[in-house]
Amino acid sequence: MPTIRFLTSGCAVDFPDGDDVNMLRVAIRNECEVPYRCASGNCGTDRVLVVEGAENLSPPRKRERERLGALLDQGYRLCCQTYASGDVSVQWDPAQKALDDRWVDKALPAAANERLQRRWLSESDTAGAERAAEAD
Amino acid sequence: MTELLSKDDFRAALEDAIKGREAKNASFSLAWANGELSRDHFARWAENHYHYVGPFADYLGYIYANTPDHATDAKDFLLQNMYEEELSDVRHTDLLIRFAEACGTTRERVTDPRNMNAVTRGLQGWCYATAMREHFAVATAALVVGLESQVPAIYRKQYPPLLDKYGFSEEDTEFFDLHITSDEVHGERGYQIVLDYADTPELQQRCLDLVRAGAEMRFSYTKALYDTYVASDLGPAGTSKDADDADLLSLGTG
Repeated sequence: MPTIRFLTSGCAVDFPDGDDVNMLRVAIRNECEVPYRCASGNCGTDRVLVVEGAENLSPPRKRERERLGALLDQGYRLCCQTYASGDVSVQWDPAQKALDDRWVDKALPAAANERLQRRWLSESDTAGAERAAEAD
Repeated sequence: MTELLSKDDFRAALEDAIKGREAKNASFSLAWANGELSRDHFARWAENHYHYVGPFADYLGYIYANTPDHATDAKDFLLQNMYEEELSDVRHTDLLIRFAEACGTTRERVTDPRNMNAVTRGLQGWCYATAMREHFAVATAALVVGLESQVPAIYRKQYPPLLDKYGFSEEDTEFFDLHITSDEVHGERGYQIVLDYADTPELQQRCLDLVRAGAEMRFSYTKALYDTYVASDLGPAGTSKDADDADLLSLGTG
């Protein structure tokens, strides 16, 4: 029976032969303390360094490739985007945050913020904000 | 009277409540996975699917309104789920419309409710009614465990043929790729909410009833897509029929 070892928290989870399982789902279900936030491959909070068993992980998906970039080549994967089909061991920094500042300090990413501004603010409000920004 | 199930037994019962009713085994899903559909069929699927999943954040909003202040983790989960549907990146329905446009239909046709069939309208109405009227743990069981948690299994079967057999691009099909992974986590967190807050025998039984009903609704919706849009081109569910009939018998509707 294959095992996922979450080394940083000391958690080990077996799963049935022949299955492939989402790494973050397994971590959440078994309280393995992998940090995460969006679970959609956007923020990168759930990145882990694969210590052993990289060959037993699914190929990187589009969002994971875009989010991790060079980190992928260094052996990192996003738990939310990755399925395991055999033994694997991973570790992470328990205090790690998102990869992008917008996920750490701001409630909304830029594109969403723009959409909300268009929806909620009148043109004159928006123009006023733009003028203020220009003055700064 | 039924006794309170342990969390492990309750989880197993919830999983069992979906078995035999999985939408991945309905005729439309099987024809999709077998490479038998045309872009016209996918366009009709998108014109229906929009009206089922488009209001998902609305459904969750009604559940949120019924969730008591002390259930902070449940409220956080619902908010996070709504945020991801609508704002965290590209709006999920916009990804669906992108796929629909690649199939030859238009945003206007997709968003026009007159283009959904009656069964889709029934599924949408059931989702609204469940979200508004049921205890928040029961509604979460129905919509997140019964419906949303099925998504990864469905799309993991349907996404590869979109690229390999039907010739869509990764860009066209991002809607599916995104949901394969994000709904794994939504489903798991949904399970946790239900396991924690359905804390009486009555609530547990109601959850199981609604999970069964939700899975049946989604199965029927998926089967109706075949019957309405595909059967006239490919004939009544052919190679898919055995699995389809077996499942219908298990639902008591075959």
